[in-house]
Order: sequence, then structure tokens, then C-alpha cells
Amino acid sequence: MKLPKLQRWLQAVVVHPGTTEEALKSPRASALLKPGQLESVMRPSKTLTAAQRIYIYQEMYPMRMRDALSSDYPALEHFLGDDFWDLVVAYTKKHPSMGYTLNRLGDHVPAFVGRQTKLKNRPFLQDLTRLELAVTEAFDSHEAPILRSEALDALGPAGLPKARLRPAPSLRLLSLSWNADAYLDSLRDEDHKHPKPKRVPSFVVIVRRNYSVYRFAVPESEFLVLVDLKAGKTIGKAVESALARRGKRRPSPEVFGTWFRQWTSQGLFSEIEGLQASRTKSKVV
Amino acid sequence: MANRFGFKDLGIGIGLRTAHYPHILSKWPKIDWFEVLSENYMDTGGRPLYVLDQIAERYPVVLHGVSMSIGSTDPLNREHLRKLKALADRTKAHWVSDHLCWTGVLGRNTHDLLPMPYTEEALAHTIKRTKQVSEILERPLVLENPSSYVEFTESTITEWDFLARLAEGANCGLLLDVNNVYVSSFNHRFDPVAYIDAMPADRVVQYHLAGHTNKGTHIVDTHSDHAVDEVWDLYAQSCKRTGKVSTLYEWDDDIPAFDVVLAEAQKAAKFRDAVGKAIAPKPARAKTAARELSVAQ
Repeated sequence: MKLPKLQRWLQAVVVHPGTTEEALKSPRASALLKPGQLESVMRPSKTLTAAQRIYIYQEMYPMRMRDALSSDYPALEHFLGDDFWDLVVAYTKKHPSMGYTLNRLGDHVPAFVGRQTKLKNRPFLQDLTRLELAVTEAFDSHEAPILRSEALDALGPAGLPKARLRPAPSLRLLSLSWNADAYLDSLRDEDHKHPKPKRVPSFVVIVRRNYSVYRFAVPESEFLVLVDLKAGKTIGKAVESALARRGKRRPSPEVFGTWFRQWTSQGLFSEIEGLQASRTKSKVV
Repeated sequence: MANRFGFKDLGIGIGLRTAHYPHILSKWPKIDWFEVLSENYMDTGGRPLYVLDQIAERYPVVLHGVSMSIGSTDPLNREHLRKLKALADRTKAHWVSDHLCWTGVLGRNTHDLLPMPYTEEALAHTIKRTKQVSEILERPLVLENPSSYVEFTESTITEWDFLARLAEGANCGLLLDVNNVYVSSFNHRFDPVAYIDAMPADRVVQYHLAGHTNKGTHIVDTHSDHAVDEVWDLYAQSCKRTGKVSTLYEWDDDIPAFDVVLAEAQKAAKFRDAVGKAIAPKPARAKTAARELSVAQ
């Protein structure tokens, strides 16, 4: 058997969930080698049959996938218990690792969970996995300088409304419908008191500062301004939109000064867009 | 210099593992060097890279990868190689290594070190790719012998001759994992000393040592324990041929305290010291592929 065909066949067997016999008979593997011809390709040892030898690889594959997903989704694993294994097997069958790193293996988990119509507590778990994925993304995001409040002050009353803020690369904003945030917190609870899934809207900000990931809830009115700023609206437009909202979603005009000071101290933004570039340009000139 | 590439003998090191970050960052322990798992640092701008930068400032560093898939029939992953080179440059890595294996085809990655059939076809294929990688990385690639659990009926070359011919044909370095030699010799019933003796000593730029799990019917390379005496004996035997070569202890599962891993690694000192200063490498044993293959069977 030529090398490309041999590799396709062995991979088809190794990643197939189930017994080696089932793997050898799977459509992908059996199209390349008839199950009865195994020993024409692989030798038995003195102690193991050829199928038992392949099983050593086949057994390790899902364990490796589980370890990777477990490290990114500890709360999901905790919530599902033994059922986590079944989810890993089903997920990696649909979304196998296609890259050189396992860091991206779990990228599709929230969407996958959302499609599992038979999964109990599915909407809660979708929120929980969105939250866990956002934490992982913040952890791995690129480092960037933090915007200081003095830089905003320096813009003056005329410049401030026209300014656009570049979000910190780690900044993630999540609108959650379930108490996923509280469940994630409870993993650190030594008393093992984990809340039951409950419909509770929350607005969560995730950001990394000094190489630690921080997560905190904010009021909806504040959250919506952050969403607008992250989307690239100028400060003026974001404030204008906020003041046009009604009810709890409308902040009082006095609160903006406090928010901007908080956001800069929390490291939510890295710079004022365009300012860095124009400074560089003027130096060159 | 014991090896033909001029790579330094860095002494005795251990693999950098997250569990040991707090110890390393607070104590800055006395250790000759660290081996870093490349893929853990190529796609992060967070704390892992920050820690690595600090470590690379204070200790010699070598990059060791698990995803190059040098034996795969898929095209080389240029993005992976570009990022690997950038990381090597950033950390001033003394060299860059990966495994003689393949990890996937059709764009998929099993993240396992899958074995090659030892055929002329596979050898030519791997030589070609190793040369390409060395060119892209702008440094000779160093390849490690894997541990394996299956043997292909089509293999016509012993693993040790395959590795020696690959190193020669691609002009690459070798990372000789003595534990892997032992594991595979148990699983495939070949003479591990024949393997060690067949290595081109002047191409061996690094050793790996580790513990394994003996299941009775076979051994699994788990990196979860102290090395067994037989592995130390093989290491001692090989040191006589290569002279003092950078040596690293790997511990990846049930990782104990930093000092326990370091103490295990430092057992290598007595074998290294026994061979004294770097000796002139002995040529590899004459090829006896056909005979050794029949013994292995």
C-alpha cells in the first residue's frame, strides 16, 4: 500500500469511535483496506494481535480530545459529569482538530451545544460554553498597551466626541440569559454549592490585565455603550445612542465620566484610534 | 564539539511545564536549560508567552514540537513553520526539534505521533520534507525517534537504519530518546543496543530520558515516572559513543514537584561525567539492515 493510502487508512481507524473491529469495518477505513486484510498491512507482536496494537492508538485519541476540551470547558465538564465523554466523542466527530494546535479544538462547542436538541438544559449550557470560550480567548489574546484616562482628558471637549476607542484585544462582551456566570464562579466554591440552571439575564465583561483574566457583570445600560464602542462607534455617537434609549437601558448623563474612568482603569481599551498613526506620521514628516 | 552542527552541550535540563511556573518564577532554580513545547506558545499572546520570555532571558532554551508531521503526505503547514521560526528567533532557541512521525492527513490532526512505515518511499519522502523544513527554519531540523506500538508489514528498513539514513540524506540532527528506544524495543522485540550503536554519533545533538508504563503485553510511553535502570544503562552506553550531549528529562503525566523532576534529570550527570570531555564520535555501525530486521521479526 502506498504511503498516502496507508496514512488515510490508519487515520480513519484511529479516530473512529468504538471498537477496533468497528473501526476497521467503517466506510472510510474499509474503502481503503478490507477488514479481513489487516495483517497484510500490520504485524501482530508476540503478545498482541495487530488489532490490539492499533487499539493502543485508537484508545488514546478520544482521551487526548477530552483532555483538551476539559481544559477549555471545565464548567461544562463539571455540569455534565460522565455525559461529558459522549459530548466529546460526538463533537470531535463533527469538528475534528484541523490545525497544528489543540487550542482551537473547542471553538465550535457553543454552537454545537446549541444544536443538541436532546441535551438537557441546552440553553443554559450554550450560555455556559459561550462564557468559557470567551475566557479562553481572552487568556490567549495578544498583549496590547492600556489606554490611560489622561489620554482621553487630553482630547478636550471638542475632540472627545469624535474619538473612537480601540478595544483591548482580550475584551469580550457577553449578554447571557442564564446564570452561567454564577455557575462558573461556583467551580471555585469549596463548599461545592453549584447553582441550578436559572433564567437570569446578565451582562458580562471579560478582559485580561497583567496576564490575568477578569470577568465582571455590568448594568445593561453600561454594557450597551461598551458594545457600541467596541463596534467602532465614536464616543459621541455611543453616548447619543445611549441617551436615546428608554427605561433601564438609558443611563443618566452624569454617569459617563465615571464609566470612562472605570473602563480605562480596568484596561478595556488600548488606544484612541488614529491617534497613534497620526503621531507617527508627524514624526516622519 | 561532539556534533557536526556545532550545537553546544547545554548540560542537563528538563521540559518546561505549566505546573512548575510558580516555582521557576519565584526561585529561578539552578538548572542548565529548558526544553519548551513549541505549540504551547505559538498561538498565545497571554501569560504563557510572558513566562516563556522571562525564562528565555535567563536560561538556554530549545524548542520541541509535536505537530510538524514531517512524515505526513499532506503538504507542509507553512503557517506553522512561519510561527515556529518566529518563536525560535524570539526565544533565541539553540535548536528546533520534532518527531519522526506523522500526526494526520487530509487536513486533520490526530495529535498523536503516528508511526511511519520504514520503506524506501517513506524515507525519500521524509528526507525531502526535512530538507524543506530546515531551509524554511534557516537551521538544521533535529528529529526525535518516536516510541511506537505497531509495525507495518511493508517495512523493509529497520527504524535505526531509517533514522540514520534520514539524518544523512537530509543533513539533520537527531534527538535520541533513549526511553523511546527501550519502549519500542520491548514492543517490537528488537535489540536496543543495536539501535543505539547504529546512530550516527556526530548527529546526536540531544538526549531525551523519561519514564514509561509497562502493561505487561506492551509498554506505553507515558512520561509519568522515573526512568527504569535499563534506560539508564542504554543512556550510559550511548554516551560512550557520543560524548557529552545535552540531556533532558521529560515528565508529562502525574507531574511531581520541580525538584523531583530535576533530581531525576541530574542522575544523568554520573553517566555524562563518566565519559569525560567530549570524545571524538565513533562512526555508525556498518549497515546490517536485513539481518537486524529479521532479528526484530
